[in-house]
Amino acid sequence: MKLRQLLAAAALAIPAAAYADEPLFGFVYTTDLLPKGRTEAEQWVTLREGRASGDFHLVQTRTELSHGVTNDLQLSGYLDFAYANVKNNGPDGTTIPPEVFADYEADPDKRFTKTRLQDVSVEAIYRFSSPYKSPIGAALYFEPSLGPRTRELETKLILQTNFIDDRLVFAFNATLAYEWRKLHADPEAEPGSIEARDHWDKETDVNFGVAGSYRFAPNWSAGAEVQNEREWAGLNPFNADKRINQAWYGGPTIHYGGQKFFATFTTLFQLPLGHDYAEKDNAIDAVIHGFNNADDFESYRFRLKLGYFF
Amino acid sequence: MRRRAFIRLLPLAALAMPAGVQATIYLSVEQAQSAMFPRQKLIPAFRQLQPTEIAAIKRASGVAPLSKQLQAWRAQDGGWFIVDRVVGKHEFITYAVALNRDGAVRNVEILEYRETYGGEVRNAAWRQQFVGKRFGGGVRLGKDIKNISGATLSSRHVADGVRRLLATWELLLRNA
Repeated sequence: MKLRQLLAAAALAIPAAAYADEPLFGFVYTTDLLPKGRTEAEQWVTLREGRASGDFHLVQTRTELSHGVTNDLQLSGYLDFAYANVKNNGPDGTTIPPEVFADYEADPDKRFTKTRLQDVSVEAIYRFSSPYKSPIGAALYFEPSLGPRTRELETKLILQTNFIDDRLVFAFNATLAYEWRKLHADPEAEPGSIEARDHWDKETDVNFGVAGSYRFAPNWSAGAEVQNEREWAGLNPFNADKRINQAWYGGPTIHYGGQKFFATFTTLFQLPLGHDYAEKDNAIDAVIHGFNNADDFESYRFRLKLGYFF
Repeated sequence: MRRRAFIRLLPLAALAMPAGVQATIYLSVEQAQSAMFPRQKLIPAFRQLQPTEIAAIKRASGVAPLSKQLQAWRAQDGGWFIVDRVVGKHEFITYAVALNRDGAVRNVEILEYRETYGGEVRNAAWRQQFVGKRFGGGVRLGKDIKNISGATLSSRHVADGVRRLLATWELLLRNA
């Protein structure tokens, strides 16, 4: 009888459980998803800093709401904003807007500052294997985005494996993203060429990410991430003649996870392993001392993710 | 201009300020003892596990003890009451296992659970699956113990913990 009373009292004391797909990493995804019926809000701030010369400051924010449709399917929607403040940041010393502002004209000798809605996205992640039941967890990620002058379709394979009572976590991401960006006519382009008129610029990104994190104390995990990012002009990543850039990033990450709140902070440094495959066409090599200075790359990336579970 | 951009970000950051995190204790050790061994006197029999014992427990159960301290009490009827911890998503899950004189599980109780999710391991019906389990009798999630979908980490670690304590009884307490 006493046991029953205790059970009843304990059942009443069950809190409104809050569930999370909280990220251990700033850039690499894991297969952890929200359980069915649970909702979570996330706020990201990413600061992308530094080029070989000049000023380069790019702030990107993401405001995201996620919901567990089933225990293995999570849907999210988010708004991305971007702020750029750059001057003389190009490899040739001219002012070149970051890639997310590529459709804006910039005076090559003056500072360029601009804030914009970058895009609106929906994201679906389906997990077909859990790392808590199988040696390797696996999930597929699908994310279409729509911006004022951009379209993007990003897909991702996410793998995760855990060790030491799930306190040591490794994750691997392979990302394929197609980007369409409506660019203005380039007055210096060869007359009759596609660049000489307003056109949709197409690009393919293929990224690989590896990360590991260890829960060194209750609520706290720390680790490292490595990203390899590759770009192709056009939509065929198997056409070696169309590859344009490659860059590597690596750095530490720290994560706090509580009952209702989490925070993740990651710093990535570009590693001197960059490559500018389009250099022969552009006459200017975007890689200086091994660091790629092309329009989507910079020296440092800092990302803070904050999350709240409802 | 730069300052204005950061000012725009501040309200977004404020939205994500943390709520207070509270430890949730569902049962004290004394309450669990009274519930699992009513009207019985429990004699503390704590002991420090030796490296060879830890290795033996790991071999027998497939799970290494998290702590070198074994918090066990002997009941008047020859049963055992053991308090232990397993890893949760963020913090440790504290639980108690009551064993009958013959080493069979009498009951499992979750004492402290502070995780964001996975609280379903406290459901009486799920814990009931452990009752009667013995060392070598199979206490594996997905085989002998049903998984709780959406609470896989917690249910697997609690199942692993019970299996480890059954091995501990077999190796250290059975003839103590």
